[in-house]
Amino acid sequence: MAERFDVIIVGAGPAGLSAAIYASRARLRTLVLDESVPGGQMKTTHKVSNYPGFPEDVKGTDLALAFSTQAERFGAKIRRAIEITGRDLSGPVKSFELDEEDHIEAPAVIIATGAKPRELGVPGESKFRGRGISYCATCDGAYFDGKEIHVIGGGNSAVEESLFLTQFAKKVTIVHQFDHFQAEPVSAAEALESPKIEVIWNSEPRAFLGENQLEKLRIENVKTKEVRDLATDGVFIFVGYTPRTDLVKGLVKMNEWGYVETQDDMSTEVPGVYVAGDIRSKRFRQITTAVADGTIAALAVQKFVKDRKQGA
Amino acid sequence: MSEFVKEITQADFEVEVAKSTLPVVLDFFSTECPPCEALAPKFDAVAEQFAGRARFLKIFRQGNKDLASRLGVTGSPTLIFFKGGTELGERMSGDDIKRTVIKAQVESLVAA
Repeated sequence: MAERFDVIIVGAGPAGLSAAIYASRARLRTLVLDESVPGGQMKTTHKVSNYPGFPEDVKGTDLALAFSTQAERFGAKIRRAIEITGRDLSGPVKSFELDEEDHIEAPAVIIATGAKPRELGVPGESKFRGRGISYCATCDGAYFDGKEIHVIGGGNSAVEESLFLTQFAKKVTIVHQFDHFQAEPVSAAEALESPKIEVIWNSEPRAFLGENQLEKLRIENVKTKEVRDLATDGVFIFVGYTPRTDLVKGLVKMNEWGYVETQDDMSTEVPGVYVAGDIRSKRFRQITTAVADGTIAALAVQKFVKDRKQGA
Repeated sequence: MSEFVKEITQADFEVEVAKSTLPVVLDFFSTECPPCEALAPKFDAVAEQFAGRARFLKIFRQGNKDLASRLGVTGSPTLIFFKGGTELGERMSGDDIKRTVIKAQVESLVAA
């Protein structure tokens, strides 16, 4: 027998957990699923400075814990480290198989699976993952104590994580494709002033080279077309995100970049399937906008479930 | 940590990994590593499924830097698979390690 809920939320990042807070406070039987531990991208962000209500910087892991603790306080159940091994979201009853053994179902789902760090798609990238290439500074920064490393990217993540990495690395060289950072001016200025950070502008990685270990990073200057190999102890890649849409591929409408199109109330063309957070097609992706999406989705689901119960 | 998983140090590597008669899965983990926390229950679950057929070991990277650098491990979590003291199969690293994928790789290691 499948265990029944009023709403199943997939993804325990800020969108999913905000939805869980609102849904559980509305007395909906609420289950949140996550392949990892709660927090989404927040949990691997070393500090968050722009989330309202926290006048001082807050660690991403602490903010993630605050979100999940609040959701659980109102009765939302969070299942961590699960793998969805089967699902049917097209009909009136949405069902999931978890870890090849448990079955759960609900009339409504909120897909808040977010986005994962984008890979560059450059030769050698998968070979050297974990052998010199990393996508998580909080996880792997300490491996590079006293080393000389490179960071690829120039947005908020690249610049802020570079600043974090200077705690460990002797030198951090940022390789960025443009001639200025896209990051917020406060962090960009801090990085430019850091004695441990150097920047190579207008350049893109072309290959990762080495025997068993990453040894060199090949870059090309996009203006002069000059190609050179840089010796490196490690490379951190922060070049944006790609949506995690495996669960809804072929089911709902997506834009040309693979993000899901929704109505203003986060509904999709499939009744009972709602989508919230970074996975959605929208202009800005921030913790605050994810929180807003999750809130709206939960309020819309509340009405959907009530109408369904009344046979409307 | 479950009873099916044992934590070792680099001093135990010869005995526990290199000389093991059973296939070994070695998990390098770190503190302040959410993907490591996420992997732990999956690792425990697969370890239980293979009890008696494969060994599941964990090693704390910060305390065992020499072995990590000898094996060229630069990220946590990293899973390395051994049989007869030789590394076999693809390493798994990062936030996206699935239970079914670990299971499949251990299955083929046990069968090999």
